[in-house]
Amino acid sequence: MYQLVKDFLNGLWNENPTFRMIIGMCPTLAVTTAAMNGIAMGLAATFVLVFSSLLISLLRNFIPAKVRIPCYIIVIATFVTVVDLFMAGYFPAMYRILGLFIPLIVVNCIIMARAEAFASKVTPIRAIADALGMGIGFTWAITLIGAVRELMGSGTVFGYHVLGENATRWVIMLLPPGAFLTMGILLGIMNVITRKSVKNTQCH
Amino acid sequence: MKELLFIIAGSVLVNNFVLSRFLGECPFLGVSRKLETAISMGVATTFVLTMTSVATYFIQFYILEPFGLSRFLQIVSFILVIAALVQLVEMVILKTSPALYKALGIYLPLITTNCAVLGLALLIAIKRYNFIQSVAFGLGAGIGFTLAMALMAGIREEMEFGDVPEALQGAAIVLITAGLLSMAFLGFSGLIPM
Amino acid sequence: MNQYARMIVVLLIFSVLSGVVLAFSYEIAIPKIQEQAQKDLEASIKNVLPGTTRYEQVEKEGMTFYIGLDDQGNKKGIAFKATGQGFGGPIEMMVGYDPKEGKLTGLQILSMAETPGLGAKIQEPAFTDQFKGKSVTDPFVPKEDVKVITGATISPAGVANGIKIALDKVTKIYPVGGDY
Repeated sequence: MYQLVKDFLNGLWNENPTFRMIIGMCPTLAVTTAAMNGIAMGLAATFVLVFSSLLISLLRNFIPAKVRIPCYIIVIATFVTVVDLFMAGYFPAMYRILGLFIPLIVVNCIIMARAEAFASKVTPIRAIADALGMGIGFTWAITLIGAVRELMGSGTVFGYHVLGENATRWVIMLLPPGAFLTMGILLGIMNVITRKSVKNTQCH
Repeated sequence: MKELLFIIAGSVLVNNFVLSRFLGECPFLGVSRKLETAISMGVATTFVLTMTSVATYFIQFYILEPFGLSRFLQIVSFILVIAALVQLVEMVILKTSPALYKALGIYLPLITTNCAVLGLALLIAIKRYNFIQSVAFGLGAGIGFTLAMALMAGIREEMEFGDVPEALQGAAIVLITAGLLSMAFLGFSGLIPM
Repeated sequence: MNQYARMIVVLLIFSVLSGVVLAFSYEIAIPKIQEQAQKDLEASIKNVLPGTTRYEQVEKEGMTFYIGLDDQGNKKGIAFKATGQGFGGPIEMMVGYDPKEGKLTGLQILSMAETPGLGAKIQEPAFTDQFKGKSVTDPFVPKEDVKVITGATISPAGVANGIKIALDKVTKIYPVGGDY
């Protein structure tokens, strides 16, 4: 039980994929023009992460080592297509906003990295705990980035006016440079909080 | 001809894959410490991007669409083809040019999970480019990626000697630098009718 | 050899299962996706042709027209799609046109890739409402008879131009004052 809690909490802070491991940057930077987009993107990725981790962990003794990567790719791509189809059908407005970045969950380093480094080595229940932790860790991180950009760029958070109707809107925060700047400064703040800086990304 | 130039210039400058479309961030932030490796990575990726544009063009318009499979087999087939293509490129380079393999070899396996590659394939399907346009788009995406990598690596090499605040050392300052680069590229927007 | 056979079998099983799962999800999701697309189309037609409760689709000279009708079957106008060239890519819009009056009845942006916070404001009623009641013989020149948005002139120009080009064609098929 203790182990499970530890696996779950790991992704929330110590090995947070966004602020500690700096992986999965493409959607993190691209879709975070509003806080709500962050939640939607995070939940979509979490769904894929949990189910592919579970399946890969269940089948870990059945998949031959040499073809494990193609097998993981098939599993992940299948779950991503399922998310893509159901999102288009049931949440069309959000689907239009996230666009290309829903299919691109396939190549999100977080999912492949967790499959390879964790899910393929542990029991299914631990794999799920880890996947949930990582998924929620990713979700809160990109929601935070989205909230900061939305606050500065549109004066709102989750669509509610916070700065008042007449506050100056910094449009640059909604444009591509705003994504890099927000992420960089938030990372700097996280480094101060944890008193250690991330030297380089864990991803290639 | 003019249209092809627009596509290439568009994907290099106006909608640069890394700095404005947010595709291929991982290698951009991770492998941009040295100019030489950054350019090697860029060249290897350009090669794969161009090959991918050819392969996915035929898959999308000659296999998936005629058989009505595009909506649910697109993602799976594209990513598998990209993975296979990268393997193939790796084997061919290993057999034909060991020198080139030495320079690019270690980067090739990493390209499969570069979102620029899958992103390119999906964009070609969305934009419904014809064959020549697809190749131009792939080439332009690669050149844009290489340009961004080279610019970032050049800045980072200089930054080694700079006095960066402790909290921003490492990835944070790289991201802020990328933000400034992206701002500079914003100046190109509206340059070309898209 | 045995090892290779196993690899092939495993990969094959994965592919087949993936295919089954995907085909199954597709069957469930696709009616919903089509229903959504239909709903969006209907909503945009009702939006640009006020008072419309149902519509008829007509194909004429390579263009698709949606003739809006109210509950009594009275014609409320014609809706059609137009495309303009924006700053970040094409702007797709639905335009409402009343041939009897020779006026536009409404405008809705269907899709665009304009800059958030600047050009993207073309979607807001503050911008689109100016086209309500606008005469189709107007010049549609930005800053003259079309109000633009501060900080973004290309996006409104794209909208105005797109409507103008489409109207040139539409008013030949459905002339002002004529029947439809």
